[in-house]
Amino acid sequence: MVEAKYDPQAGPVKVTMIIAGVVLILLMTFGLIMRLNQAALIEIEPALFYQIMTAHGAGMVGTAGLTGAAVLWYFMSRYVPLVGAVYNVFLGLFLLGVVLILGAIFIGGYAGAWTFLFPLPAMSGGLWTSGAAATFLLGYVSIGVGFLVMHLEVGRQLIRAYGGISGAMAWPLAFGKGRVEDAPPASVVAAMASTIFNVIGVVFGAAVLVASLVNLLVPGFEVDALLAKNMIYIFGHIFINASIYMAVIAVYEIIPEYTGTPWKTSRVFAISWSFVLLFVIAVYPHHLLQDVAMPAWALVTGQIVSYLSGIPLLAVTAFSLLLYLRAGPIKWDLASSLLVLGVAGWSVGSIPAIIDGMIVVNKVMHNTQWVPGHFHIYLILGEIAMAFGFMAWLVRDARKSAPTGTRMGGLDRLAIGTYLVGGAGFTVMFLVSGAMSIPRRWAVHAPEWTSQAGIASLFAVLVIIGSTLFVISYLRGLAGDKDA
Amino acid sequence: MQMIVLAVSLVLMALTALCFAAAIRSGGSARPADRSEERRRGLIWAMLVVGLVVTSVSLREWPHSVSAAAADQTVNVTGGQWFWEIDKTELPRDRPIVFNVHTADVTHGFGVVNESGRLLFQMQAMPGYVNRVQYVFDKPGNYRVICLEYCGVAHHDMITEFTVAAN
Repeated sequence: MVEAKYDPQAGPVKVTMIIAGVVLILLMTFGLIMRLNQAALIEIEPALFYQIMTAHGAGMVGTAGLTGAAVLWYFMSRYVPLVGAVYNVFLGLFLLGVVLILGAIFIGGYAGAWTFLFPLPAMSGGLWTSGAAATFLLGYVSIGVGFLVMHLEVGRQLIRAYGGISGAMAWPLAFGKGRVEDAPPASVVAAMASTIFNVIGVVFGAAVLVASLVNLLVPGFEVDALLAKNMIYIFGHIFINASIYMAVIAVYEIIPEYTGTPWKTSRVFAISWSFVLLFVIAVYPHHLLQDVAMPAWALVTGQIVSYLSGIPLLAVTAFSLLLYLRAGPIKWDLASSLLVLGVAGWSVGSIPAIIDGMIVVNKVMHNTQWVPGHFHIYLILGEIAMAFGFMAWLVRDARKSAPTGTRMGGLDRLAIGTYLVGGAGFTVMFLVSGAMSIPRRWAVHAPEWTSQAGIASLFAVLVIIGSTLFVISYLRGLAGDKDA
Repeated sequence: MQMIVLAVSLVLMALTALCFAAAIRSGGSARPADRSEERRRGLIWAMLVVGLVVTSVSLREWPHSVSAAAADQTVNVTGGQWFWEIDKTELPRDRPIVFNVHTADVTHGFGVVNESGRLLFQMQAMPGYVNRVQYVFDKPGNYRVICLEYCGVAHHDMITEFTVAAN
């Protein structure tokens, strides 16, 4: 077993979290603008709405990935000697991708949604040019290459330090006679699994991006639309899930500092992460349940694996956290509160997602607001809450809130309360709207739908206020750190 | 269906949230959970059994089945940027109708909504494929067709109607 023995590469990670914090607030504001427009409280042109929608979707998925990667890199740099320059290349390629994507959207007018469903990028109906679509896709390629480089470095070092993929995944413990004391840390198992499936996802994404780019340049080159859709959702599903699974590393590493009990790699933990690895890759057909051209077995697999994916989350990660909370005193501060909220929100959000993964339910819920309902729960109250918790932990000393003997200040309580109420209300309004058959991704809403969007807008404001307080707290912490 | 799904989801979500709230409120004063691994195994088995039952019940009748007997009641639907074309706009009641769903350009989502605004069913309209979906309308009236897959700037305007006759 290799324990933490290196100083973490904190500098570039802290810079990353500054960028992520500011971008999250900007993108949340984009979301608020969309909900206000749907509420008929403001009026923007549909073309601009769909541009904002594309920026919001691509930006949020990318930023979730960025924060997950920052968590992964920070904690793995404590266990293995990661080459720091690789992270700089990753961050540089990410920022280049952001510039290309924003340029494509707000200069080129691209509004093909973050899912770039083939052949929409090439068939805009006159709204954007092929050049704008190509620029958007190249932005994705840049970000994807950055992630690939980052993951290859993490994977290479973990494989070297822990005796191959098998060792880093704790397979001797999971499926053999390995001992708990010889197993790698829990965060290493999570990092290895996330690295494997995100590399697979990014490779599929790269393939369909290149095919789409060739289609833009040579329209005669056509891709089977169903094949392209499969590849897009393998990439998209794995990428956003990898963001959450990377962010949960912060829970495994930080929560033990508040409880005094290490988050060990037990046999059930090791087995569950092996299943996570399998499920994250195999579950994507649940995005294609209304494509009857898909083989029936694939759709059934999507439904079953969608359900099974809840077991490692609820019965292992969430259950273990509940045991920690019940078994010993935990010191509550902003970091620990947000990390616990992150696991709770992820768990709660998995329920409407699993239910929507049933074909019979999906028939009347797919692409209604039920869908943004469930993914906003496990992003706002899950992944992003974990990211904000990680930010708070990074500056815990400067905020004079060391893990032992700390209490949350009034402003911290206000921030987390505002964020929680806002996030819960905002996402429940999506679920209610989905149950009322209100479609997702519509710029203009019928008059009978505007009140739901109006209520959601109020909750969105609370989410933005809470997030702004978290980011200000982080920036003040960094300033204090600098002074020290 | 939708309201049942909403109610079940909210109850399960609330129960999950309550588990966290109770653990937090315990303040770490709960007795050491010496049977915790047993309980964890119980939870895993319970989830597996519930999953088996739900999967069996929900897939006992294939949700996408199209019967050969309904072949004489076929409607051809074509989606395009940004319109729907339907070759029959008056359909019979209480008879299985098969919709052959095409697209003229990009992917669209063929969604049918009743007069109460409730989504009855949907099917993707995908380039290069004809996707078939069957439905029995048990109430006469006007039904709206909407687009449920984002397809460009006038996606929200892709709306048309058809009628189901009283007899």
